[in-house]
Parts: sequence; C-alpha cells; structure tokens
Amino acid sequence: MIELQRVNLKEISKLEPALTGGHRLCAGCGAGTMARQVTLAAQALKEPFMIVNATGCLEVATTIYPYNSWTVPWLHNAFENAAATASGTIVALEALRRKKQLEYDQINILIFGGDGGTYDIGLQSLSGAIERGHDFLYVCYNNGAYMNCLSLDTFIMTEDGLKRVIEIQLGDLVYAFDQTTGDLVLKECSGIYDNGTKEVYELKTLHHSIKTTLNHPFLTVQMSRKKDVNALIWKTLEQLELGDEIIVLKKLTGGKSYTFKKIDLSVRGDFKVHKINEIQLPESSNPELMEFLGLYIGDGWTRSHKAETGFSFPEKTDARARLVFLSKKLFNLEPSTTSLNDVYLYSINLARFIESLGFGKGAKNKIIPSWVFTIPLEEKEALVKGLMQSDGYIVGKSKRYVSASYELLKTLRLLLQTMNYRVGKIHQQTKKKGTFVVYRKLLEDSSYGYVCFSKKKEPNIDKYLSQIKQRNFLAENKYFSSEKITSIEFIKEEPTIDLRVEDEHNFIADGIVVHNTGIQRSSGTPMCASTTTSPAGTVIPGKIKWAKPLPDIMAAHGIPTFTASPFYHRDLMSKVQAGLNHEGPAFLLVDSPCNLGQRYEPNISLEIAKLAVQSCFFPLYMTYQDEWAFTSESLRIANNPDKKVPVEDYLKLQGRFKHLFKPEWKDKLVEIQETIDNRWERLIKKTKY
Amino acid sequence: MIEPIVKGMTGDEAVAWAAKQINPDVIAAYPITPQTIIVERFSDYVNDGLVDTSYIPVESEHSAMSACVGASATGARVFTATASAGLALMYEILYVASGMRLPIVLAVANRAFSAPINIHGECTDQMVCRDASWISLFGESAQEAYDETIMSFKIGENPEVMLPTMFGIEGFIVTHALERVDTLPDKTVKEFLGDRRVIPACCTFNPFAVGTFGSLVLQDNYMELKRQQEEAMQKAYHVTKNVMAEFSEISGRDYEIIEKYNLEDADYAFVSYGATAGNAKAVVDRLREKGEKVGSLKIRLYRPYPVSDIYEALKGIKAVSILDRSATFGSPATIAQNDLAAALYGKKDVPTLHGYINGLGGRVLLLPEIEQVYEQSKKYHEEGKALTQDWIGYRR
Repeated sequence: MIELQRVNLKEISKLEPALTGGHRLCAGCGAGTMARQVTLAAQALKEPFMIVNATGCLEVATTIYPYNSWTVPWLHNAFENAAATASGTIVALEALRRKKQLEYDQINILIFGGDGGTYDIGLQSLSGAIERGHDFLYVCYNNGAYMNCLSLDTFIMTEDGLKRVIEIQLGDLVYAFDQTTGDLVLKECSGIYDNGTKEVYELKTLHHSIKTTLNHPFLTVQMSRKKDVNALIWKTLEQLELGDEIIVLKKLTGGKSYTFKKIDLSVRGDFKVHKINEIQLPESSNPELMEFLGLYIGDGWTRSHKAETGFSFPEKTDARARLVFLSKKLFNLEPSTTSLNDVYLYSINLARFIESLGFGKGAKNKIIPSWVFTIPLEEKEALVKGLMQSDGYIVGKSKRYVSASYELLKTLRLLLQTMNYRVGKIHQQTKKKGTFVVYRKLLEDSSYGYVCFSKKKEPNIDKYLSQIKQRNFLAENKYFSSEKITSIEFIKEEPTIDLRVEDEHNFIADGIVVHNTGIQRSSGTPMCASTTTSPAGTVIPGKIKWAKPLPDIMAAHGIPTFTASPFYHRDLMSKVQAGLNHEGPAFLLVDSPCNLGQRYEPNISLEIAKLAVQSCFFPLYMTYQDEWAFTSESLRIANNPDKKVPVEDYLKLQGRFKHLFKPEWKDKLVEIQETIDNRWERLIKKTKY
Repeated sequence: MIEPIVKGMTGDEAVAWAAKQINPDVIAAYPITPQTIIVERFSDYVNDGLVDTSYIPVESEHSAMSACVGASATGARVFTATASAGLALMYEILYVASGMRLPIVLAVANRAFSAPINIHGECTDQMVCRDASWISLFGESAQEAYDETIMSFKIGENPEVMLPTMFGIEGFIVTHALERVDTLPDKTVKEFLGDRRVIPACCTFNPFAVGTFGSLVLQDNYMELKRQQEEAMQKAYHVTKNVMAEFSEISGRDYEIIEKYNLEDADYAFVSYGATAGNAKAVVDRLREKGEKVGSLKIRLYRPYPVSDIYEALKGIKAVSILDRSATFGSPATIAQNDLAAALYGKKDVPTLHGYINGLGGRVLLLPEIEQVYEQSKKYHEEGKALTQDWIGYRR
C-alpha cells in the first residue's frame, strides 16, 4: 500500500503559488481552490513539474490570451486527449535526455481534466496512457457541468409584460408552464448568467421563432402511437428534428388596465400660442386610448420642442376622421386639420405624455413597450384596431401590418401571439423609390417588413375531442398549444445570456417554453441530480443512473487511485505528493464543488465539499493493488459511525436536488440514502479484506 | 552527387527506411492498412536497437496525433503515419498541430474512406485535409516516398515555416509495390537535416521554461494568429523549392514542386498527382508516337498550391484533363480541378479544364481509358466546353 506523508503547511505557506490570482474562474469555484492545493503540493516536492490541461473551465479561465495565470510550464491540446498529450511529452523528454539534449533528474507531470474530459470523452485516452505506464498523476476535478443559453435579443414574458432577456433582474416574476397542471404560472427568476459568445441558431415554427444555442432545451410533445397518451419531454435544440412539436404560448388572459406614471406637466405655454392648451390626460389605459395609440404607432410622431403630435393621415380617410373623434373625446383637444396630408395636435403636455409611454420616436424606431403585454385582451384588440387603420390592410381572411421598424414587427408579433392569433413570420424587403406600398408612393429607397395574422379558428372541442387531441395534445389547454418545428438554421456567433427560474425550471422566451440554464449530465453526474439534459420532471426526477465508478475503473488498471476533497486539504496534498512520487501513472479524483452547476451560494463551496465527505456521498480513500484504505474524515467515520451525517444535509443545500424534497419524491430520497449506505458498507468491507 | 545505395523496397518500407536514417526522437503511431508496414518495420528498428527513437504504441490515431503534439511541443523531432479512417480520426488534432506551429511529419498511405469499407488506394483522405494548414505533398513511387520523407522534415522545421507536413503515397499501388530505391548514406541524411532543436529551449514545453501552450484566444487575437499561419504557408512555398533544389543536388534526382513531362510544345496535357502520373506519362509516350502533341504535369506540392508554376507550365495549352483519384460529390468540379480552375481563373492563354474522377477504392486506371480521356477532352475543347466533370473507369 502507498504510504501517505504528512505535508508541512508551514513550508507550503511560503511558496509562490503556481496558479496565481487574476484568473477568471467564478467566485466560489471549487476548481480554483483544488488546482492551487494540488500545485502547491507538487511545488513542495521541490522537483520541476509541468501541467497538461484538458479543455474545460480551469483551462479556459486561466489562459485567456495574451494573459495566463500559471507560473509553471503548461500545455493544453484538446478536450479528450490530455493523457495522450502527456504521453507524448513524457516520452519526448526522455528521448531528449537520452540524446543528451536536455538534462534533468526527475520531472513530475500533472494532468488536469474535468469530469466531461475524463469520465466521458477522454476515458479511452486516459486508459491507453495508463496501460502504457507513463509516469504522471492525473487529477480529475469532478463537478458535472457543461452550459447553454439564449441570444441577447430574446424577449421574455414577465409579470410586467415583455422584457428583453438582458433587462430581466433577479426576483422578477416570469411566466412559466406548470408541467403538472398545464397552467400558466408566475415564478421567480433566481439566476442570470452571461454565457459569452456562442454559436446561435434560429428555430422556427409556423408562428414562432427564437434564437438560441444548440444545447438549449425545449419542451416537446412525445407522440405515442400505441397509447392515446402523449407525454412532454425536454429536448435540446440538437436533439430536435423538423416536425417535432414544441410547446408555445397561445394566450395570456386576465391583465388589467395599466396605470400611467405621472409626468411633469409644462405650465410655460405651448409652441407659438404662448399659452397652455388645457387638455385632459387619462390616468390609465382604456380601449379608446389604445386605439389612438395604435394610430400613433402607425403614422404618428412627436416633436415636444414644437409641442406637436403629428399624424400623416390625408384628407377624407377613415383614419383621419377617427383620429379627430378620439382626440376630442380622449383629450378634449381639437386637432388642426388645415394640412392636406397631416393632422396636428398642439399640446406640449400631450407630446410629453405620449413620449413617456415608450412607443419610440420616428418610423424606424417604433416598438410596443412591455406594459402593453399586461393590459386586458379588449385593450390589446383596440390597439390592433388602431394599427390596422393606419398601416394595415386586409388580404382575404388575413390581416397584414407593414412597418419600417423590425423591432415593432417583432414585438407586435409576440403581442399577437398572446391574443390567440395565428401569426406568420416577418417578411423583410427593400423597395425602390417610387414603388407603391399600402396605397402610397415611396419618396426614397426604403426597407420595411410586414407580418400577416388572423384569428385562430377554435376547433369544436366538445364534439370532436378525441380526434382533436390526437392532433393537438394541448387542445383543451387555455394558455398553451404545440407547434411543429419548420426549420432550424445557424445564424452566427453572438453574445448569449441565460436565466434560472425556480420550481418550474422553465420560462417563456419569444413565446416558446424553454428550460432553465444549468448543467448537462455527464457520466460524473450523481443520481437524481437535475441538469438541463436530465431535468427533474414530473415523471423522472433528474438523472436516473448513479455516476460511473471511475475510481474503480482506474483502480482496475492496477495503479494507485485516490479520492480527495478540497475541504480536507492536508489529505488532498498528501495524496498529490504520493501520486507524483509513485513511479508510473496514478489517478486522483477530486470533488470540486461548482456553485453554478450544483446551485448554491458561492460562499459555501467548502461547506458543500465537507458535507459530501461527512455524509459518505464522496468518501475519502485510496487503493492500490487490491488494497483499500480510508483516510482523513472517512477513516474517522469508519471508526466512529456516529459521525456520519444524513445525506439529506448535503443534498438540501443544493438547487440541483431541490425537487427531491417535494413529497412525491420522498421515496427517492430514501433510495439515495440506501444506495450511499450500501456503497459505504461495501467500501468498509474492502478496507477490511 | 553522392553514390546511391540501391535497395529493393516497397513504398512503406522506403518510408520506414528513411525514418530509420532520420532517427526521429519520437514516433507515436497506430497501425492501419495499408500503412502497417511502416510501423512494423520501424518497430523492428526500435527493438533491434538500430534507432534510438522512442516509440509510443498509442491506442488510437486520435491519441497518436495528440501524443505527437505533446512531444513536438518539447522541441523533439516527431514522426507518425496513418491512412484513411485513421487520418479522419486525427482530423481534430491536425488543426491543433498546425495552430500550435508544430513541425510534425505524417506519412499517409492514401486509402479510400468507408462505407462501403475498402482498404485500397485513393487520395480522398489526404485531400479533405488540404485546408488544415498542413504542407501537403504527393509521391508517385517508392523512390519518391523515400525522398519526400526526408524532405518533409526539412521543409516543416524551417524556422520561417514551422508547420506540420504530410505526404501521401497511394495504398498498395505504391505502399506495397516492390521497386528499386536509390537510398542515401545515413550520414548524408543526417547532415542534410541537421538538428531539429534549432528553436531556443525557452520557446519549447520543457521543465525549465515557464511557457503557456495552447491557450484560449478570443475574438481580439484569433484572426491575427491564423493570419500568421497563412503567411507561414506562403513562405513554405519558397522553402520547399529551395529544399527540393538542395535535395536534387545531393541525390542527383531532379526534384521540383511540379514535374513537367513533354509540356514544352504540347497542345494538350494531363494533370495528376501521385501514382496516376506514371500512367499519364506512359500514355503521353504512346500518343507522342502517334504524333499527338501532348504532355503531362504532376503536382508534387499540393499545399501550399504552386499557382504561378502551374500557370507557367500550362500557359498556351488548349485543354487539360485532370486525372483525380479522389472523390467529391455534388461539387462543381473534381477536387484537383477546383484548385486548378481557381489558380488559372482570369489569367491569359489558359487551357479549358476537364476533370475525371477515377480509380476510387483502388480501381485500376487502364492506359486505353486515359487515351479515351484524351480524345474526350479534345472533343469537349473543340465543342467549346470550358469546364466539365466526368467519372471514368466504372461500369455504367
């Protein structure tokens, strides 16, 4: 058996760390702590050492060119081949020494790999290098994390209306799909993550589209031909195929009239007239005001320095008549109709009021502000009516709305989707000067777009329920329906961001139900942990299988194999030194807590690491040539079983196991405790053998 | 010129023999037909103590190239060999090797891709790697296999270049055919190549220099580093020319980046690479006897592509038939034709180009078929067709 030597912390504390500050690992990341402990232990041996690092958090966050955080020779090749790369280096250095081109006595080689690069894709390379017997210590820091995200211009449906994903703040209530009841519910946003620049794809259905990364999960309908019951499952964009049905928002009911914020009223006098036009301003939204605003979005502008709100409605049009009527009724203001083409409302306070509503100025910058998404259906319909009177026209049964503002079309499209309309995609086109568009001649070259929409025909559910349900699994659902995917296309690399929503773990982005961010399962992910590719659902409580027994697999190669925890750092450092001093390959598995993946506050990383050991979830031991021995805290627990804490204590601190504490998964909790007890007993037997 | 030592060797044996004389520091390889003989022979040399190379018997080609990267980064001279599926498995790390500017040398026993599985000669495997920033050469015979093994190290290791080099010989057609090979004495090879460790130790991955290799480079610098690779490629063109001139001097064999055969007064020409060039030259001889004005051009250096040399050689010729032993599907032209068309486009007095995919999966290209190609191209040219793409030598 391998002898562990006590490390001299006094000596170690004097060393300049090989991993210096300034790296960009997350606050609270276990990998940074672990890497420093490992390298300090290697430094304390006073022999030169080199690091080969697999692709992963540690590699990415410590070597962003032209900076690096390492004061020792360090090399990275790819994700799955750190062990093979190290073989090459070790053999080459030996060859150079043999050929007298390099002189040295002993070089220690450390390899760092994450759980993805070790348990999964890099296992073959590691196994091969061990079989060849190269002299290295492979350190696998296990946290179980890979990430996924949405494009920055995604709109999220929240209690306060539609918001851009970058405007969402912690604590905001966002709409989510309740997977048990199928209801629309409000849930708190508990995490926002900047995920950097990623490849972004556009997913389209007949009426919806969203930009997202390949690994973002969507709620999809799994058809079952045998039984009449279809099920809902999460699939990542990568796993989705054309024709798959995803869950989309149909209608947002309820809503209440929006109370406007008070604005500063001018008393100085309106432009030219030197007195204030006495007008009345509404305190909250109402259908007629929304219709007026619809007209404004289409053809209106404000110039508050001229106290002017203008509309380009030519004489003898219905829109002009309607505007005059609404102005008088709403604001008690007589419009100026002397111009042949335009109508003016002269009031500085009206202009200020309209500007405060957030519809944007000028034809190209118009947008539907988020509060409009919170008003009752009736008021929304009035807005659409106003819009249609200005820049809309009717083609057969469908309505078409034209605008030069892409943002307006995008927000209008989303608004219509909350009103149970069928909405087509946004058509963009460029027209030359002189072309007729909606009965008007263009004065210059212009680019504009349009959307088509029409009321959805409600199927006769009472009469044909079973047939309709066969076609549309959510036919009876008031808020949601499913739509077939028509295309998935690569757009470009863009900055991305992601959200986490409590309980339901989903939210509504661009009208489509999407899953929280988080981690994707690897074979190092523990049983029942919720990840984005093994989410906690209503039927399956997260990952089904236990983690791959990597230490056993390594031990089966006949090499010294250790497990260690950054909380028990003396034990960890002793093991690093033992592994490096051993001639030939050695393997060390370190439990490396990840606050982002395991979902806990960053200041309790080491507490999490401690509980993993104290609950025997992650026992500390070493094994070599069929001998097994506990070390440190695990040895103390083996000698005094009272010290063992329930696994619940470890699980309850982590968001990834939160679902297990719901009454319906009580059995799972028991099962996990039993499995851990069994594994612990088996380890005890091994150590006594 | 140095008196040659004449040996009878297959293409693979010639590569292994050259590698033995070069005595690289590290070889990491995994066996795959038709490259197997290279690693088998070399293993013999290692175990018989004829070389002091460290041989890493890796568990896959992916690990082979990965180990080569780890080894070459230390400043060691590194060699490997593979074929077909093995090269495809290495593909990811090919880009790491060139991106990290490691002058690894890779012998490719060109073999068809699966499916259907086939172990015989075809150059598609090497052609799909032409954008990987590797210097790419093709050899026609066992002699060229021997010579190019030696020259590859000298080209890639040049401090102006510092790029990996691959050279291909067609599976079985060259790798397993026994031929006369004029070899050089060990000492000459050693002197020709010199020492790989010309770069200072502070720039290599070694225990006494604090260096970071393979770091993360984002939008702010990535393109600049990639541009440096392109500039290195452009330098590799001149370096290759010089290396071949130097090698011609010591070996007495005329080496150029392209080989011109009866092109001076030719109206028509074949363009090919690798072993197909031998067939093309035989047909040129036959047609010349009949009074046809025809010649042949063999592309030896495929990357960097010798644009001006090829243009000069083909200027004034009426039509060119490209004999392409590699497959592409749904492409506007055959692979070699695509490059040739791009090289000649917009220049004066250029030939019309007719591409012929042939010899896939080791199918033999018969001389009468090449004559048919010639007649066909001539006809196309007379009909005014500038660019056509055909397959030949298959049952319709």
